[in-house]
Amino acid sequence: MGRYTAGGALVRIRAMSNRTEDPALHSARREAWVVFAIWLLAMTYTIGVCSLYGYGRDVSDLKFVLGFPDWVFYGIVCPWVVCSVVSLWFGSRFMRDEDLGEELPEQEDELGLGG
Amino acid sequence: MASALCFAAAVLPLWGVKTTQPSDWGTLVALVLFIAASMWIGWLANKAMQKSSFMQGFFLGNRGLGAWALALTATVQSGGTFMGFPSLVYSHGWVVALWICGYMVVPITGFGILGKRLAQLSRRTGAITVPDLFRARFNSPGLGLLASLLIMFYMSFMMVAQFKAGAVVMKHSWPGAGSREMAEDIPAYKLNSAALEKLGERGVPADVIARLAPLEDRGFDAEKDLKAEVGKVLGDAGLNQYGPAVVAASEQLDWQYLVGLGVFTVTVVSYTLLGGFLAAVWTDLFQSVLMLLGVMLLLFLVVSSSGGPEAATRMAVERLGPTYAMGPGYDPTGTGRMFMPVSLAFSFFWVWVYSGVGSPAGMVRIMAGKGTEVIRKSIYLLAGYNLLIYMPLVVICICGRALIPDLPAGKTDSIIPELSIMTTSRLPGGSIIAGLILAAPFGAVMATVSSYLVVIASGLVRDVYQRFINPSAGTHELRRLSYLTMIGIGVVAVLANIRPVAYLQVIVVFSGTGAAATFCIPAIMLAYWRRATVAGMVAAMVGGAGTMVLMYVLGARGFGSQSIGAASAFRPFYLLGLDPLIWGLLVSAGLGIVVSLLTAPPSAETISRLFDLERPAKEATA
Repeated sequence: MGRYTAGGALVRIRAMSNRTEDPALHSARREAWVVFAIWLLAMTYTIGVCSLYGYGRDVSDLKFVLGFPDWVFYGIVCPWVVCSVVSLWFGSRFMRDEDLGEELPEQEDELGLGG
Repeated sequence: MASALCFAAAVLPLWGVKTTQPSDWGTLVALVLFIAASMWIGWLANKAMQKSSFMQGFFLGNRGLGAWALALTATVQSGGTFMGFPSLVYSHGWVVALWICGYMVVPITGFGILGKRLAQLSRRTGAITVPDLFRARFNSPGLGLLASLLIMFYMSFMMVAQFKAGAVVMKHSWPGAGSREMAEDIPAYKLNSAALEKLGERGVPADVIARLAPLEDRGFDAEKDLKAEVGKVLGDAGLNQYGPAVVAASEQLDWQYLVGLGVFTVTVVSYTLLGGFLAAVWTDLFQSVLMLLGVMLLLFLVVSSSGGPEAATRMAVERLGPTYAMGPGYDPTGTGRMFMPVSLAFSFFWVWVYSGVGSPAGMVRIMAGKGTEVIRKSIYLLAGYNLLIYMPLVVICICGRALIPDLPAGKTDSIIPELSIMTTSRLPGGSIIAGLILAAPFGAVMATVSSYLVVIASGLVRDVYQRFINPSAGTHELRRLSYLTMIGIGVVAVLANIRPVAYLQVIVVFSGTGAAATFCIPAIMLAYWRRATVAGMVAAMVGGAGTMVLMYVLGARGFGSQSIGAASAFRPFYLLGLDPLIWGLLVSAGLGIVVSLLTAPPSAETISRLFDLERPAKEATA
């Protein structure tokens, strides 16, 4: 079960223990899954296109786009540009700023583990 | 991390700069300027860190890194990329674009998977180092110690290699260096006339010396190679009797290399002592900016001189065959080796990404970031930077093949220096421009060494001494110990490099991917999985590390296909054609999950304080 905070983040309520998952953890996990999906998608597309069109081809079929062999342009240059744009979107729009909490004084920690 | 890995590609036989005289002066001037700038940066960092306590200032820069510093130093460390990677493009052609293209997602994965959570946990626990974080998250000093020892193990390998690289660059910066042989070209053992004379002086009979004549002036990289040949001409009895004398007499020392090693070590240790973590990061940032300028300038010069990448590719295909424009890449050895089969292309999309995520040096920089805003901005700043560095470098080196078609196999690491010198020679002040382009990788080597010095020293001083030997050590003592540790590491690195190890660059690859296989999964579990236990973390770390070691041992013993990947004697076993890192990550994840589930769950209170917003009900009402 869960509820939405004023900021819009879904915050899980653990009714049994009265614990609320830290919103920063929740958004970090959500962002990590999105990043993982982007990596998977980029890899699948790039390796797929390059293995299909960059290997075992007759060189006489090779075309050039903006100076790049076609398989490099469509398989690497284009997705690279797309990933850069996605990174811009991710960093500027999707990823949420969170309060990371107060810095503990050096050699102290709230778990009391010594050190 | 990338530094280590891309050094991997070929850092060590780097910069075989067969330069012309004017450019030699430009290189020297640029390096001197760079050294002066680094010392100045160290001094500035020293002033900046005086605002806080010594440990946090020296080892973490007071968590004050801004977006540019974090973006361009946490995952890039691209000196190696600038050195080894161009050589691969020149040698194998367009397929190297596929080898490197995992970098398209490195910015978003490097900061997006763990960044926010590491920054948060390190603040909540007061952790200054990565082992600190493991120790505090799992309430286990033993786990912290294991992490620290493993980090120091990998980092030591990597750092020793960088010292050698720095020394070789220094050596080649001297005017006239172009006429000398590279350090790598000077064999470790050579039975020259002076050596034979020494044998006579040491009482070796003349007839024995005469029987050694067939070996005169032959170079050997390893003692065992020399002994094997001596055994052939003198027999086993002769080898036993005279072998040690022959080895001692034929040992070669390259004084120019040693001077370079000394200057490099003194410089880098000095400014790191001055400025600690911040000095390492700021010099890294400085070299990254210099490198971007160098690449952009070189791109313009090389493309305009060569007629562009299409013309250069057509020329290369005509001379070398179709594999220069397609996978699996051109094989300069002509032995049918496949540089980049699809399985390895797939592997490298993992290698760059997870080496960035699991690099301890990268993690500690994320911990040092000012906050989430800095992490967010770093993602797109680095994405833009990578876009402007990697594909332009591919284009530069493909065009370079048209301008300099026949660099011999062992000298392809010098393609960027050669192109810099060739294309700037007609420009006013060309040698200085070439020198500035060449100074960037030198700076990258210094910055990398500096950051490793900080990590290793923090491991010894913070994670071992302060945690286990003397928890009540005062600031003065910790400061003195940190300085002594760094000086000690410098001395050890110099001693280790007087006689550099053969195949060191491949050991660097092993260290980089090994660190990733060891720490990537544990770091993800640390950040996101409540159920992870100490035993699970130990299993994940040891499992990842053990798999990497096993794959390299099997590869060295001849298991698996020997005809894929870069040609090297120290190579891993590519099980199913995949890089060992993938197997290391899978084993690490499998063991980490299974062992965690089989062991008692961690204390709910400990977990709650790091994962939840509120305290458990009973505690809240207590």
